[in-house]
Formats: sequence, structure tokens, C-alpha cells
Amino acid sequence: MGYKKIVKMIPVEKREELSDKLLNYLLKTKNEKNMPSSMAKCFLSQWQTGTFEDETGLAVLLEATAVVELEKTTEFLEKDLHLADVAKAVKEAAA
Amino acid sequence: MVKFGIEFVPKEAYWKTVYYAVQSEKRGFDNLWITDHYNNRNVYTTLAATAIYTKKIVFGPGVTNPFLINPIMTTQSLASLDEMAPGRVVLGMGAGDKTTLASTGIEATKQLSAVVDAIAIFKAMLEGKSVTYEGSVFQVKGTRFNFKPRGQIPVYIGAQGPKMLATAGKIGDGVLINASHPKDIDYAVGQIKMGVKEAGKKMSDVDVTAYTSFSVHKKPEKAMEAASPVVAFIVAGSPNVILERHGIDLVKADKIRGALAKGDFGGAFGSVSPKMMEAFCIAGTPDMCNEKISRLLKAGITQFVVGSPVGPNVRQSIDLISELVIPHFKE
Repeated sequence: MGYKKIVKMIPVEKREELSDKLLNYLLKTKNEKNMPSSMAKCFLSQWQTGTFEDETGLAVLLEATAVVELEKTTEFLEKDLHLADVAKAVKEAAA
Repeated sequence: MVKFGIEFVPKEAYWKTVYYAVQSEKRGFDNLWITDHYNNRNVYTTLAATAIYTKKIVFGPGVTNPFLINPIMTTQSLASLDEMAPGRVVLGMGAGDKTTLASTGIEATKQLSAVVDAIAIFKAMLEGKSVTYEGSVFQVKGTRFNFKPRGQIPVYIGAQGPKMLATAGKIGDGVLINASHPKDIDYAVGQIKMGVKEAGKKMSDVDVTAYTSFSVHKKPEKAMEAASPVVAFIVAGSPNVILERHGIDLVKADKIRGALAKGDFGGAFGSVSPKMMEAFCIAGTPDMCNEKISRLLKAGITQFVVGSPVGPNVRQSIDLISELVIPHFKE
């Protein structure tokens, strides 16, 4: 499943909190070397022209965060947001 | 109206620094300064990426030095950036940190002359003509670019000592004063005025910039905690005359220097006193920071730079500054 479809599974009221947490994970990650160059450009292009709270932006952010901080991302989805199905979909997409 | 700038140290992957640069532009900052140290990511690759992803923020190295980067290469880099982001580029030039330069095998002597020479070469080469210049530190003979630079680029000089401050007032379009306390700004403005007068300029011709150590959070203790490591390094690097100006115990300052030299960071950071915090950083809640910024404005600054660490969480602190600090002075 693609990240745009995964984002549609996330309730709208939980997207802002998720976006905030994912940005923290991404900007504080020590796994910078795992970030593909193309994904870094995609991340910056999205930030330049939009936000990370709408569907498009959150999909970009979720994909980037899943690459550098998969465990933290899925744990937050599962334990804090109680979105086990989304966490499972992210794991599969990142595999 | 006062301008707000922000400083970033490109110590992490470029996309993080550029994220913060774009955020700063979106949140109302006027200027962006990227530090230039050989042991971090390159300042000009970071600025080039910034040029691509931003559209209005003014940016430049804050600061480079002529010892490690030859002034010709600095001019080439800035002229090239000015093609990417026309009219948005400024130069920040200082004498460099002697300790850091020493680790590269460079002995930074005649610092004032080196900066004066570098700026003379910079301005002349931006004219796009063949340049011959005989300075006491740098000389060029018939040097020219194979392209036409867009024109002059504002020059800010990083200054702390009296001669450099006066020189900055005399030949600079701006002065970057590494200080967070009105006493230091008062002193600096006095020196700058002498240079301005000597050049027959007006003070309004010079962007007097406080390049501060800054940390903001809704909980003051969190802001202070984030700032104390930066303050420890500032204390360790400050000459005694500046420590005495703020009534700081020289023995305590030596203790911090010793701890840092041994790599005992916990000991060094733990030795930072409230007086040191007061002297060398602006840290606290937005209201506390606003009060301190107001005092710097009264001392004569025209640009306020939010320097490291910005806050315990840089992204959230930028948002906080945008919501509760910048509007306090601009609306």
C-alpha cells in the first residue's frame, strides 16, 4: 500500500499530533545517512510549497520518517494513537 | 523597524538546516546566518540549498574568515549565490576563531588588516573589473572573474574588540556583535560610532546587529538548561576584560575552561552561574526574552539575531518566537 493510501486510514483529528511527532523524530534522528537524497529533496519541496498536515504532506513525512525512524514511528502509531492497522501498513510499506 | 535574524550551525544533514531555514522564512524572520567552520557542513553548499528552497529571506555566511577561505573564493561564492537569489545575499566576515584556525595549521596574525584587505578585495572584484590590490596580508594582481557579478553585496563585519568595531563602522554596511547584554552593546555602539564618524557616514547607514545566544521555551528552566552549554563555551572563550565587565568571578571561569579542556562537559555546564547566564545569553519565556530584547534595542541595535541554541526544541522555539516575540516588536 502506498503512503497516500495509508494516510487516508488516519483519522483527521489525529493528523496534526502525528505530524508534530513525526517532524520531531525526523529532525532529531541520528540516522541521517539512511535518508535517500531523492526523499530529502521531496521533503524540502513539500515544505517549501505546503505543510505536513494535509494528506499530501503527511504522506511525504510519514514515508521519510518510516525510512529513518521506523520503530519509533510505528510504536507511536500503535501505542499513542491506537492505530495498529496503520502501524502495520507502514511496516509493510517500509519493508 | 528592527529586523530579526536567525543563526544555524550546519552540523547536521543539509536537509535539516534547510528545513529550519524555510521555517524561519515562513515564520517571519528577515535574515538567516549560517556559520562557517571547517568541521561542520560547508556553508556555501548549505546556502545554495537555502537559495533554492526560499524566496525572500536574506542570507549569508555568519561569519566566514579570510584566513581559511581566501577572499577571492569568498567573493566568487557570494557572487554566485547572488545569481541564485538576486539581492538576498550578504557577507558576514570576521577574523576567525584563533583556536579553530590553529587546528588547521593557520596562524591568524594581523587579524584587523586581514579583514580590511579581504573586504577591499571583495568589493573591488564585485565591480567585475581586473583587480590589483596590495594589502599587508592579502595581495591580488590582475585578478578578475570570467563572469560579471550582479553588483555590490552588503558587508557585515563580525567584531568584538575596539579596533574591529570601529573599522566595522567605518567600512561595513553592518556589524555583527557577538553579545547578548546591553553593557556589551553599549560599548560596541560607542566604538562603531567612532568609525562611522571617521568615514563621514550616519549611524543609520550601519545595521547594528546583536548576534546573541538565545533560548526560548514556555518553561524558563527548560530554556536555561538548553542555553547553559553554549554559555559555558562563551565564558571559556571570553577575554578577562569582558568577564570583569559583567562581574564574573575569574576563578569560576577558569574552572569551566579547565573542565572543557578535560572533556568534563557535565562539570563545565554545571558550573555555569546565573550571573554568567545573565551576561551571555537571552533565555527564558517569550516575555522574559522580549524584555531583554527591548533593552538591546534601547542600546542601539537594528537587527536581533537569534543564535544557538534557539531553544530546547529548535522547531518549536522558532514557532514560539514567531507567535510571541517577533509580533511584540513588529506589530
